[in-house]
Parts: sequence; structure tokens; C-alpha cells
Amino acid sequence: MLFRDAFKTASRSIAHSKMRSILTMLGIVIGIASVIILMSVGQSAQDLILNQVKSIGSNLIIIIPGAPSNGRFSSPAASQGIVITSLKQRDVDSLEREPSVSAVAPEVRGQDNIIYGNNNVTVGYAGATADLFSVSNLSLGQGQAFSKADVDSSNHVAVIGPTLATTLFGSSVTPINKIVRLKDVSFRVVGVLSKGGTGAFGVDEGNLVIIPITVAQKQLLGMNYFNVIIAEANPAYDVAFAKSRITFDIRQNHGITNPNKDDFTIETQEDILSLLGNITSIFTLFLAAIASISLVVGGIGIMNIMLVAVTERTREIGLRKAVGATNSDILQQFLIESVLLTIVGGIIGITIGAAIVGLIYFLLINFSTIGWVFAFPISAVFLGLGVSTVSGLVFGIYPARQAGHKNPIDALRYE
Amino acid sequence: MIDILDLKKEYVEEDTSTKALRGITFSIEKGEFVSIMGPSGSGKSTLLHILSFLDRPTGGSYKFLGKSIDDMTDKELAQVRNKDMGFVFQSFNLLSRLSVYDNVEIPLLYSNILPSKRHSLIKSAVKSVGLEEKLYVEAGRLSGGQKQRVAIARALVTDPNIIFADEPTGNLDSQSGLQVMEILESLNHKGRTVVLVTHETQTAEFADRIIYLRDGLVESDKPVTAHHSNKVALK
Repeated sequence: MLFRDAFKTASRSIAHSKMRSILTMLGIVIGIASVIILMSVGQSAQDLILNQVKSIGSNLIIIIPGAPSNGRFSSPAASQGIVITSLKQRDVDSLEREPSVSAVAPEVRGQDNIIYGNNNVTVGYAGATADLFSVSNLSLGQGQAFSKADVDSSNHVAVIGPTLATTLFGSSVTPINKIVRLKDVSFRVVGVLSKGGTGAFGVDEGNLVIIPITVAQKQLLGMNYFNVIIAEANPAYDVAFAKSRITFDIRQNHGITNPNKDDFTIETQEDILSLLGNITSIFTLFLAAIASISLVVGGIGIMNIMLVAVTERTREIGLRKAVGATNSDILQQFLIESVLLTIVGGIIGITIGAAIVGLIYFLLINFSTIGWVFAFPISAVFLGLGVSTVSGLVFGIYPARQAGHKNPIDALRYE
Repeated sequence: MIDILDLKKEYVEEDTSTKALRGITFSIEKGEFVSIMGPSGSGKSTLLHILSFLDRPTGGSYKFLGKSIDDMTDKELAQVRNKDMGFVFQSFNLLSRLSVYDNVEIPLLYSNILPSKRHSLIKSAVKSVGLEEKLYVEAGRLSGGQKQRVAIARALVTDPNIIFADEPTGNLDSQSGLQVMEILESLNHKGRTVVLVTHETQTAEFADRIIYLRDGLVESDKPVTAHHSNKVALK
């Protein structure tokens, strides 16, 4: 039997029982649409996270106190809240002398109440040098960043996030030059960051307070070490080279001769991007795997309906065999029918999935502050079509074999 | 054309066995019109199924056009059914949701005939049974007699050597039955071999020869003598 004839026969059978065909396809439609939506949303989330990490600046090298973790997905001790005091001013000084490093921004972090008038909010704050703004690509919406002179003179000035500005001052009052109190220390607001949302390392930039590091260390936290040092690699040098130089300098400062006994961890932006990329990819795959359960359910539905169809059309099978159809002709006809059902279901599922992804994008862009990225991976389309074809074959083969092996005499006598 | 020798068919189910055919021997020449008669359970349907390659015997030998059924694979049997045999069933076995055209096309789907050559074959087969004006009518909308004529067109479309008809008038009124038998008779006059299974004597007497079965054996195998008078009676 020519494939063209088998295809025509199969498509005719589907067309003759429209309602049943639609109901049969429904499971596959829902399954494919779910996979498409979750893959697209997962891809969007991944792009969003990676873009935010990239937005803090290129060629960044992050130095965190504490030994590197053994496991790829476990964080160094310092980022788990354990106090480690190994990063000191001499480390910053030696990095500033390092030719492969163009800028160094040490940071300390704390959390306390910030007060303006009757408004009292708990916030995270960062004590930083003036270089942080350029190194981390932090732009100002109002006012200006504090200067090196402010840091050196321990001036009580602060730059705050836009969400916090609205919370403290409302939308009608200009925050610039207003006095706020952070841990009972007064600060004059000199600038407001331009964008909110969650920044790199989970920092809520919208609610962030940045003050000179000298003030934060001496007057708020009473510490002489740093929580993190961000170094920017000199564009004339390779990031990996800069990383190796930094490692060498800090080991020398700390008197470390055995590399296995490092009391600091260095991560480049590339390391972080790769790690985050891996995590989000696994997360997306996990979501897609959950969604594919509905595909299996849909496939079982196809098998069920095809078995009913084979029974209902027993006499037709008998007739076709009597006039010359072989077992494989009948098998081919029913297999094409089930694959056709799943492919059409897959195409409808992809269309519905794409429409829902578009709707999610529209809603998030227009009704939320999340800088959502539209992503519709073409691989999801091919995966959707591939999976629907395979499920048609897998779940169609049993009913098709049942049809192909029917005895023509019994089939012709079937009532 | 057909040579069977000591043909046997035994159905075995668990501990019981049923001998449907106990040793049948006869030949059918090309161009003959043969009726197979017999009471219920005599083995006539079993014999027709074996003759038409829908089933295999459990004993004896069957040669069709000189080739033994034992030497042929299931695929070869299907090819012979498609190319050399035409089937007419008591219950028509038309696909009611398809048109007359599509029903008659079914055997051609399994042949080597190219799609471009099928149209003329289908039209000619439908014309030969006088239903050319119903070519694109859904088969389910036809009368019983018309359905059986479509079934005959379907049997003819591959230009087979032999037509097997299993109780072709069983579901028809006498007028329609007569029309169907006259078509089969005219096909025989044009040189086609026709093997008819029936329990109606008047229908059987359209043939040149009647093989009468009883209990899986040939009881009699005689030429029809009262040909003309019985046909007149049927009319």
C-alpha cells in the first residue's frame, strides 16, 4: 500500500469521527502546551537571572572570605552566614597595586531599621567605596553617588533604592538631602538608584541602602574586615589571569603556602553565570519532566481510544484483508492514524502554549516591575513535535498490531 | 484453475476437535460457474474460506493456478486475493460512510496499480453493474440490491480470474437477488470463473455445476440440467 493511500485512509477515518478525534487529542494538546509553557517560562527566568548577573558589570571577580566548598552546588561558608574575618584592608591595597585589576570595591553588609519621620523599615545596607557604583553598574535615577572624598572623610551620606525611597518619602517628596536614621545614625540622602528589583546575589536593589564603607565599618558594624571584595579585571588582561594574580596576592597576604588551605574563595562572573545557568537549566528540565507526565496520560488516552476504534472497525479490517491488505498494511494504517492524531494535537498544543507564553509576557511586562524577558525556545517546538510523534508511535503500536493480527474470517464475522 | 485433493480442515480447541472438512476432492476449470450447497454445518463456508485463501487447510492439498497453498506465505496469499480473486459477501461489507467510488477503490489500494490509472478502472467497474449515476453517493444511502451491486463492482475492479460469492442473495428481496445473479451469470459468460456458496436451490441452479456437501464430505457433484426452467421460476 502506498504511503499516500495509507495517509489518505487514516486522515479520512479521523475526519469521519471529529468529536472523538478532538477528545482523543485533548490529552496530547494539554501535555504539549504544558511542556512549551514551562520550557519557555523556565528559559525566560534563566535569561532574566543571567542578565541581572551580567548587568552588575563585566569582567568581575568576586572574593569571599572562607575556604572554597567541595561540592559544586554548595556555597562558601561566608555566604552561609558564618563570620569569617580573613579579608582585610591589606588585601584591597595589594589588589589596587595589581596591574591586571582595574578597580577594587570592598563591601560590608548589614541589616537594620531605617527611619524617616514616622516611617520605619528594616533594610539591608551595604558599606562600600565610591568604586562600587561603576564596578557594579549601579546607575542613579536622582541625585548622585557619594564620592571617594565622602568615603575618606566618613561623611554620613547614603544612596537608597527607588522602592525604599517611595516607602520612606512617598511619591510626592523628593528624597535628595532628606535626613534618614539608620541604626540611630543620621545620613543625608544624596542619591536614589534608578532601578529596583532583585539584583545580583539576591540583593533587593529596590530596598538597598549604600553608605560609605568607612562609616559602616566603624560606626554601624564595628568591624575591620570585609564581607566581599569585588575586583574588576583590567580589560587588557584575561579574566583567568587576573583571577590567578589575585589568588597569588591574597595567598601571600595571608601566608598560605598550601592551596588546599585557602581561607578565601574567588569566583569570576563566568563561574557564577555557569553555576546559575546549570541550576536554572536543571530547574527547567525538572518542570518539563513534570509536565511530560501529562503527555504520558495523553498517550494512554490515545491508546485507549485506538483500541476501541480497532474493535469497532473489526469488519472493515476483515474486508481490507479479504481484498488483499497484509498485516503490515493494516498496522501502517492504524499507526498513521494515531501518529496523525498526536502530531495534530502537538501542533495545537504548541500554538496554545505559545499564546499562553505571550499572554504571560504581556501581563508581566504591563502589570509588574519584573523585567521579564520573552523567550520561546525553538527547541521547545521541535521537542513538542518530536515528543508528540513518538507518543503517537509508542501508544499507537499496540492497537495497530492488534488490528494487523486480526484473523480475516473472524473479523468478517464480527457483529 | 482449482485442484483440491483430500482436503481436510480440523478446528482444535483445548481438548475438543471439530472436523469441518473430512477429505474433499474436486477440480474447477477456468470459466466454470460452480455452486456449493449443503445444510448448515456441512462445511461449505469453511471450504469457501480455504478456496479463497482466507484460511489454510489442515490436511490434503490445494493448488490454485497450479501453485500449492502450502508453498505460499501469508503475504503471497494476500497478493493472490488482491490480484486473482474477487469477493462478494452476504452482508455486502461496504464501508457505509465512504462513497461508492471509495468503496470500489479499496482493493486497488493494495494493488500495484498507480493512482492515476485507478479512476477509469473504478468507473468501468461501477458502470458494469449499472450504478454509474451513484458513483459519488455514500454507500450507506443505497438500497440492499444496489449495495450488493457495488460489492460486485468492488470484486471486479482488479479484473480477477475468479469471483467467490458467499450467499450473495441472502439479504436481498427476490427481484434484487435476481439482478445480482444475472450480473454474476453475465460475468461468467464473459469468461470469469464464479464459485457460489448458497443454500437456495434456485440460486444454485444459475451455475453449470452443483457440489453438494454433507458432514464435511462431497455428497454429490453434478452438472445442472434444469437450468432454464429454474431461472424462469425465480423470475
